[in-house]
Amino acid sequence: MNERVSRLRLTALTLVVLALLSTLFVRLAYLQTIDRASLTQTANRQHIRDVVIPAPRGQIVDDRGRPLADNRSSLVVSVDTSALARQEDRGAAVLARLAGVTGIDLGRLRHQIIACAPHVAKPCWTGSPYQPVPILTNASARVVFAIAEHRESFPGVMVQTEPVRQYPMHAVAGQQVGYVGPVTQAELASRGTLNSDDLVGRSGLEQTYDVPLRGTDGTQVVSVDNRGLVTGTVSTTAPTAGDTVVTSIDAGVQQVAEQALARQLATTRAKTDPKTGRRYAATEGAAVVVDARTGHIVALASNPSYDPNVFIGGISERAYEALTGPNSNDPLVSRAVAGQFAPGSTFKLATASTILTDGQATTDSHTSCPPSLQVGNATKTNYDSESLGGQISVAQALAFSCDTFFYQYAMAAWYSDQSRVAAHHRPVEAMQAMARAYGFGSAPGLDVPAGEQTAGRIPDRATLKQEWTQNRSTYCANGRRGYPDVTDAARRAYLTEIAKENCTDGWRFRIGEAADMAIGQGETTVSPLQLAMAYTALVDGGLLYQPTIAKAIVDPSGHVVKTLTPAVRHRVPVSQALLTYIRSALTFGNGLRPSGETAFAGFPLDKLSIGGKTGTAESYGKQDTSWFASWAPSDHPQYVVVGMIAQAGTGASAAAPMVRKIYDGIYGLEGQRAVLAGGAPPSTLPAITPYTADGAQGEVVGPDVPQPTSGESPAITPSAYRSQRNRRRRWSS
Amino acid sequence: MVELIRRPTTTLRPIDAALRSSEPWWRVVDWVLAGCALVLGVIGSLLVWSATRTRQIDLGADPRAYLKRQVLNLALGLVLGVIVAAVEYRALRRWAPVVYAASCIGLLAVLAVGTTVNGAHSWIALPAGFEVQPSEFAKLGLIVSMALLLAERRRRDDLRRGFDVPLALGLAAVPMGLIMLQPDVGTVFVFVFVILAMLSVAGVSWRWIVGLVALGVVVAYLSVALHILKNYQLDRFKAFANPAAQNLDAGYNVHQAKIAIGSGGLTGTGLFQGSQTNGRFVPEQQTDFIFTVAGEEFGLLGAGAIVVLFAIMLWRALRIAGHSPDLFGRLVAVGVAAWFVCQVFVNIGMTLGIMPVTGLPLPFLSYGGSAMFANCVAVGLLQNVQMRNAIAPLRV
Repeated sequence: MNERVSRLRLTALTLVVLALLSTLFVRLAYLQTIDRASLTQTANRQHIRDVVIPAPRGQIVDDRGRPLADNRSSLVVSVDTSALARQEDRGAAVLARLAGVTGIDLGRLRHQIIACAPHVAKPCWTGSPYQPVPILTNASARVVFAIAEHRESFPGVMVQTEPVRQYPMHAVAGQQVGYVGPVTQAELASRGTLNSDDLVGRSGLEQTYDVPLRGTDGTQVVSVDNRGLVTGTVSTTAPTAGDTVVTSIDAGVQQVAEQALARQLATTRAKTDPKTGRRYAATEGAAVVVDARTGHIVALASNPSYDPNVFIGGISERAYEALTGPNSNDPLVSRAVAGQFAPGSTFKLATASTILTDGQATTDSHTSCPPSLQVGNATKTNYDSESLGGQISVAQALAFSCDTFFYQYAMAAWYSDQSRVAAHHRPVEAMQAMARAYGFGSAPGLDVPAGEQTAGRIPDRATLKQEWTQNRSTYCANGRRGYPDVTDAARRAYLTEIAKENCTDGWRFRIGEAADMAIGQGETTVSPLQLAMAYTALVDGGLLYQPTIAKAIVDPSGHVVKTLTPAVRHRVPVSQALLTYIRSALTFGNGLRPSGETAFAGFPLDKLSIGGKTGTAESYGKQDTSWFASWAPSDHPQYVVVGMIAQAGTGASAAAPMVRKIYDGIYGLEGQRAVLAGGAPPSTLPAITPYTADGAQGEVVGPDVPQPTSGESPAITPSAYRSQRNRRRRWSS
Repeated sequence: MVELIRRPTTTLRPIDAALRSSEPWWRVVDWVLAGCALVLGVIGSLLVWSATRTRQIDLGADPRAYLKRQVLNLALGLVLGVIVAAVEYRALRRWAPVVYAASCIGLLAVLAVGTTVNGAHSWIALPAGFEVQPSEFAKLGLIVSMALLLAERRRRDDLRRGFDVPLALGLAAVPMGLIMLQPDVGTVFVFVFVILAMLSVAGVSWRWIVGLVALGVVVAYLSVALHILKNYQLDRFKAFANPAAQNLDAGYNVHQAKIAIGSGGLTGTGLFQGSQTNGRFVPEQQTDFIFTVAGEEFGLLGAGAIVVLFAIMLWRALRIAGHSPDLFGRLVAVGVAAWFVCQVFVNIGMTLGIMPVTGLPLPFLSYGGSAMFANCVAVGLLQNVQMRNAIAPLRV
């Protein structure tokens, strides 16, 4: 009986055991199969962290592959805080030695490697707590050797080479190349591909082509333990280096232009202005070289300028003040693209085109060129009150640059328009229309940010009315108050006068303004680039290009991703015959002796025929703006070169000599060495040194950390890191 | 096990006892049982290695230090097990009171000079960094002495059977009370389970069984209601009842344990490859949560195999109980089986989130010498009973 009970209960116990173990098995299977996905996700969330490996930024090179912007290898000493935390003294000894070697104060060093958090005082590390903290950038070879030779004393310390943006030609084409700056919170929010450590193009080509230059950042997925210390690398996605932007800028021509500009400014400043009796201020200037056959920009020189390298690693407040302050003369602004100046007689290209096409004049008609002319209430004179006797043709008027000749047509057109306005018809305003056809009054659409190029100003009745409606109250208030802030009494009186006039009559397009526009004076302003594109239209059969600096986008493996050619905006409404007529009038050595020819006395026109138009623009309270717009060779133009120097006198005395120097440099004339063989820009794309993919990934190699791949530790020799441009490599010490 | 249940109670085994007595020992040892224990011990050593490796590296210590000590524990345990298995069956009965007394003294000593780990005052520190956990040996003492008491009283018919249970309970009360003082609720729970299993198989009235279970429920309720349990113990139960409350330490343990097991999947990450394990997200992983290493690094195949190995082991233990010709041997085997199944279920169950967190080690797998020795001795006891079965087959 007892035995039976015992057996029964033993059986029951067996069943209990079976039930319990089955429960365990079922539960185990449930967790590891059905519940697995969510548990694995949770697991990854807590022990997987992503660290961004920045992609090396692409280069910006000139037409022959010379880098205008590239990357140099900076030696960066970093501390693997995870490795330090695992050391017995939590890295105290290593940090002390590191402070000794680098000269960084130990207290500061200890602090700057702590990840920033609400309760952590600065300096602290703003980056990811899962990546090594850089403590010294641009480390000297002495520091690197000291660490490398005693690796055993520096566990958790590593030296890495990091690509750092640099502009090897410094200020050469600096304004066009632009610079990079740290990404903003707004950009992080709006552009999903950006990471918080990224640099973003802030100006020039760096900004326009930021996306192709940027490349794709890589990711290193690291595992962390329960204390958040990195235990190893799970996977690494190598970054893809950015594409190279090949420009049509020729660094040689660019340098020639910049030097010619700088020298001309210096030369002009040494001269005395006969009109004012003072030395020329020659405050600023620009030179533009356009490939007339393609519309590509070959050189864009502007003075003053700046070296974009000042922006590397963050610009100091003082350096920024020096670039933007009231006494800086605004070197960040390219006068060639963003400068607005009255074009003077160079604008007669548009005026002559107007009168030859609107039926007022023909290539055979003749008009007088009196020394002075009554225009409205004012008497306007030719420059130096000169005059050509008798009746002259449009060609002669252009070559001689007779203002009164063009006034007569402008006045006739103005009267005609006024009677249309009186009859409630739209004014024709043929001159403004022609000016716009040549690209004046609208942005040229160069491939730099829109804010860095100007549209200039071509006033007409509608625009004036609109502006007056908007600003009338300001004009009137200024007229009443009379500019008490302005110290110069004469200037104050002038400004007050203008304000009063604007208050009542600002909406009027008066006959004087029409006359001013005919000779590129008054409110008519253009940028040197706009003028160059207008003259390109003159010499290339009327095509108005949308100019570009970039020629091609080339990926890191050397494949051309995109070829960029300037688009034709439209054809100016001037016949080929008339364009030829105008060109011929302005060609040197053709007998008409155009005004610029004197500046080319002694120039080997037989080797390089030149055509060009000078301009001398008056500006209230300032000395004259000197212009010269030219092309060469005149029979089959390759280049259009425009020069402008502010407060420098006549076109023939400042801008034209500067442009002459530029031709000398390009073609190797007058004792100069040719910067372009045969004077032609390269027709093929330069070979771009491709990026090497290896080492571009910044694998963390630290002590105690299992190495994901065969972690290479290249011997540290000075030549080793000099050869590592565009690479990023880390090695443990 | 099915075969065991159906066996007629009165059938003699058809093997001559005399013939059996001449069998060499290797023919009568339960090799399946021994093999399971050994394999579990080896797997456990690997898991202990994996669980302690990265921390040892961080500390700059020998990454194999825990592995070496656990292998040593296993080796010593095997020696102890062999010795116990080889002791003459009658000697076991003689030694039972001594083992009981010794374990009670050990439990008293732990209260006097013991060290506290995780809130329980359960260890006695020995020289050279060794520690002894007397409550592990107390389990052996209880099983052997209680088996002796119940078997001896059953043989003498002069006393009324009604005294069996109070006497057995009195015997168990001393070590249980001492363990309660540590306090180590988990071990007390094992004691209760072992006592119930042994009393059942000893054939006591079912009223006693039901009454004891009811008493246990009332005591458990009162200890919560009257705040007799320590805060950390309550936390564990709260965490069990509400796993989302992960800010509680115990809830964190279970949560991390489940993550580790879940991320193992079917085949696991491979030894040393578990990120939960390498990242040391699971606290107490080499001891109480050793099963999570298996779950993460060996997956369902490996962890399931461990459960199956335990199942085979328990089957062999219950089989030995079923074949035992006398009540003492049967009760010893039942006690060991109840002990093992209780600890396996509570320990693995807590890592799977179906049992509250208690500080119970997983037999043969958790790191620790005392538990390993006690487990090996228990298997030695089973082998002893098994060999006795072979020599003197079942009779009524």
